[in-house]
Amino acid sequence: MREFLARVRGLIFITMCKFTRKNVTIGSGLKIYKRLEISGKGRIIIGRNCMVCGISGDPSQYVCLETLSPNAVIRIGDNAYLCAARIQAKFQIVIGNDVLIEEAGIMDTDFHSIAKDRGIPMNEKADKCQVTVGNRVCVGARSSILKGTTIGDDVIVAPGAIVTMSVKPGYMVAGNPAKIFTHG
Amino acid sequence: MYLIFMVIGLIRGTCYVIYYNYLKRNIKIGFPFIVHAEVRIIGPGTVSIGKRCVILKNAFKGLTIITFSKNAKVIIGDKCALGGTTIRCFGMVEIGNKTMTAISLIQDSFIVNYDRLGDDIKRRLPASRNISIGTNACLAENSFVMNGSKIGDDCVLSSGSWCNGAAYPDYVLILGNPARSTIPIDKLLRLKGEL
Repeated sequence: MREFLARVRGLIFITMCKFTRKNVTIGSGLKIYKRLEISGKGRIIIGRNCMVCGISGDPSQYVCLETLSPNAVIRIGDNAYLCAARIQAKFQIVIGNDVLIEEAGIMDTDFHSIAKDRGIPMNEKADKCQVTVGNRVCVGARSSILKGTTIGDDVIVAPGAIVTMSVKPGYMVAGNPAKIFTHG
Repeated sequence: MYLIFMVIGLIRGTCYVIYYNYLKRNIKIGFPFIVHAEVRIIGPGTVSIGKRCVILKNAFKGLTIITFSKNAKVIIGDKCALGGTTIRCFGMVEIGNKTMTAISLIQDSFIVNYDRLGDDIKRRLPASRNISIGTNACLAENSFVMNGSKIGDDCVLSSGSWCNGAAYPDYVLILGNPARSTIPIDKLLRLKGEL
């Protein structure tokens, strides 16, 4: 019953997007268990059979996809499982297929410069700041992926990790800043 | 004013006690239960909360306990102050008496949504192991207690600390993400001249 309702909510969301939001394209089979919030004028592309969920009964657990500029692109592959994820793009964020993101944040900008006036950061460029996440990646709860990182295929990001550097495929990373972690 | 605040909390708590004790068989909550934020207990596992526990508003997040299987067990002692904590459990989580927590995450496996994962990744993930936290422990804000960690009595987890798969002795300060260093609190107080 819950699954059927989630499918219906997904269908309504897709048809709403076709008429009101031309910048958003969503593949078939979307299931929405919790609120999905999309804002901004940039391009958002979501693949087939995606799932949007979170802890039931908690109003602060919802999925947020935000583009901060008209040229920004968020591209999410097929079979993605977004569990209260927050994705904010100013340039480009590309996420592969079969990805699981739990209550984590992915962003490709610092939002403010570190100078005294706290203005827009000046030396951010699209080719340096874009974030790519590979296929079959698991991102644990309350971790965050910062600008300029590329995460390879089959990587596990442990809960609470803060990823500041790129990660090669097949590793597990943990800690602040995230380092390669072997379980002992 | 303080009395009114406490009475409102007590009335709200008794509603939760009646709801969970009588309508859900697997959950038991001790009677004086003072609640100022939401309490969510989800899942088929058994949950028992001791007497005189308090749920305070920490960033407006209440207590969330999620159990994923029928064998999962969450045991919380008496006189705990649990505001903003999230407990996600496959095996067993034990919390002693008089424990204080802030917005912290207690989770006995790395990734929670197991059914969506491929077999390759499931094999590489560390298996879920039981968690035990001693009496009179204090978990500060944004602290993580992951699978297999055993925290002794009177311990303090500093804010942002992350412990995983290790046993920590009694009465120490646990630091770092990942937590590798511990400082005995006796020594720390002597250095500060408080003891």
